[in-house]
Amino acid sequence: MRSIYVCHDTIQGIFSALYDAWVYNRHADVGIEFVGKVERQLFCQYIDVVENEKKVLAVERLIQKNLGENTYHDIYYALLADDAKKAEAVFQTMQAARALRNSRKIMEHLSNDSVTKVFELSRRVGNEAHLFQGFVRFRELQGGVLFSEIAPKSQVLTCIADYFYNRYPMENWMIHDKTHGMSLVHPKQKPWFLLTHDQADLQQMGSLIQVEDDYEDLWKTFFQSISIQERENYCCQRTHLPLRYRKEMVEFHERKVDRKNIGS
Amino acid sequence: MNELKTSLCVENKKLNTLVIQEPFTLQEKLHILGAAAKYDVACTSSGVDRRNDGTGMGNAYAAGICHSFSADGRCISLLKILFTNECIYDCKYCANRSSNDVVRTSFTPDEVCTLVMEFYRRNYIEGLFLSSGILKSPDFTMELIYITLHKLRHILNFQGYIHVKTIPGTNGELINRIGFLADRMSVNLELPTAESLKKLAPNKSRKKILEPMRLVQQNRIANKHELALNNRAPAFVPAGQSTQMIIGATPETDYQIMSVAETLYNKFDLKRVFYSAFIPVNEDLALPAVKQGGPPLLREHRLYQADWLLRFYHFQTKELLDEKNPNFNVFLDPKCNWALKHLEYFPVEVNKADYKTLLRVPGIGVRSAQRIVAARRLGILDFQDLKKMGVVLKRALYFLTCKGKMMYATKIEEDYILRNLLQIKESLPDSVTGMAYQQLSLFDVQSNGDKKVS
Repeated sequence: MRSIYVCHDTIQGIFSALYDAWVYNRHADVGIEFVGKVERQLFCQYIDVVENEKKVLAVERLIQKNLGENTYHDIYYALLADDAKKAEAVFQTMQAARALRNSRKIMEHLSNDSVTKVFELSRRVGNEAHLFQGFVRFRELQGGVLFSEIAPKSQVLTCIADYFYNRYPMENWMIHDKTHGMSLVHPKQKPWFLLTHDQADLQQMGSLIQVEDDYEDLWKTFFQSISIQERENYCCQRTHLPLRYRKEMVEFHERKVDRKNIGS
Repeated sequence: MNELKTSLCVENKKLNTLVIQEPFTLQEKLHILGAAAKYDVACTSSGVDRRNDGTGMGNAYAAGICHSFSADGRCISLLKILFTNECIYDCKYCANRSSNDVVRTSFTPDEVCTLVMEFYRRNYIEGLFLSSGILKSPDFTMELIYITLHKLRHILNFQGYIHVKTIPGTNGELINRIGFLADRMSVNLELPTAESLKKLAPNKSRKKILEPMRLVQQNRIANKHELALNNRAPAFVPAGQSTQMIIGATPETDYQIMSVAETLYNKFDLKRVFYSAFIPVNEDLALPAVKQGGPPLLREHRLYQADWLLRFYHFQTKELLDEKNPNFNVFLDPKCNWALKHLEYFPVEVNKADYKTLLRVPGIGVRSAQRIVAARRLGILDFQDLKKMGVVLKRALYFLTCKGKMMYATKIEEDYILRNLLQIKESLPDSVTGMAYQQLSLFDVQSNGDKKVS
């Protein structure tokens, strides 16, 4: 009977499921599904995973030691993606690695379907995270705190944390992920940390946003004046900067209001 | 504060009956000097990795980061502005030439610093791109730019990216000082040949443009030796130099343009050469008439494709073009065009061919070639695997074998492959489309100078 492990769609959850699957079913075909997204099948045994930190560290060590740092990076990124089969692909990749003489080269084994899947997911998350390095927009709250909201498809916060940490060490800043209800917080000159389950009181944050920020206005002015009319090409603009990112980007806010006016 | 300002203005008006111009606000200046800088192509923030030391603001990321995209689809990475558009030169193609009647203004160093710091804090930009018209003299203008950069780097502790345009004719000592504050410096070559430059930019000369380029190159080499001994020494222009050429304002051929670019890469150690399709902003007898269909974007695109072939694919200009075929084929990209004329090298076996040979196959790029070389150590590759690695099979299939077999039964003949390649419409980037569709006839191909097939 096929075993299906059910866990939460978080790094801790999936790593714990990988731990259980690896300990008890290393050679078998197992499934890993997420709480709330399980589609029940016949002839399967569903196992609820007990999630804890010990399992996470064990799996982390296992992958880093046997498959190498670079593979760990790919697997970690793949597990942040918005995909139902990601954990199974990672498990099968780990299985495939055992068959190789040098398991550290597993990510080069692209003729294996699971490896390709992990590779693609990792690339997808990495690309989205890279875009957010540029597309995050901070607004200044009262008291000089920088606050930003994003709506990514993947859970990119931990991918961009070090980047912003290094960029603004002397600022208090916070990035809120609306899709997954998580926030990245950085107090001035201290390390960053992640808040899950929305412990942050965002209502209160919202009221602190200054209505008038002169620099937002200046930025919009610059944004409009830098475009060359003879080369205007909205299609090309959409390719590079898809509409779904624009809701949180201040330079597109004005146009949105205009459109509403046209509609009414 | 505002009231005070207006009352002062009113006072002014009362005192002098002749008020020429009220001072511009920062908003107006940004509008004027941002629009004036938009024809400069380079907005890349690439070429240098620098971590923040924990006490200032900003860092640099070698791959470069795009922060937004303007309505013309071009990336906005840096705050691209002119320091001033009050220019004493009279270059025919430039909107800010001295003989044009346009609104003129200048930033102060403090204004530029405030804009950079506040935009950067909100993550709008990756850094500053500072170009300028020539106020009074090249040295005077560059001194102002030096003051700006010095304040940014040493007083405000800004550690983000800075790109500065050097004005030809600036004192070498001043360039040297600025080079230690900037990440990238560039001098615009403007036009590919010295004669064209003489005709359209009478105040500039080839010699004056190449002089600072050579100087920066030599200083970078010296700085490299110093950094090898002491890695804490300040870096001189760590992201290297770039330049820009205007395409289509003068009658140069693609062959001439690419030869110039190749020389710049080899002899001057440039990081990038940018090509900018000529957009007529002035009416002038020396300039070509305004063409229908807008700027020559497809030609610009072909030049960039060839530029990539030079820098990443180990091609040389003389392989792509020659005196007899001095221009790129409009219908095929330069790499396909080359492959069609050199069918004697093809097909190549994916599982055996070396890296450089793979790079020359149409449809295989740098990344997919690297993946192929790594993956074939672990197993024999088939066409399905190539697809997963990002090889564009619809183009590559005419030039490849896997395990000794081609994907389909195809002839290895120039006009057969050409016909098929033209059928799978080349996916031109959106930046080029908008060009009117043209029907290809056999006659065109022959007159283009392609080899005839008997």
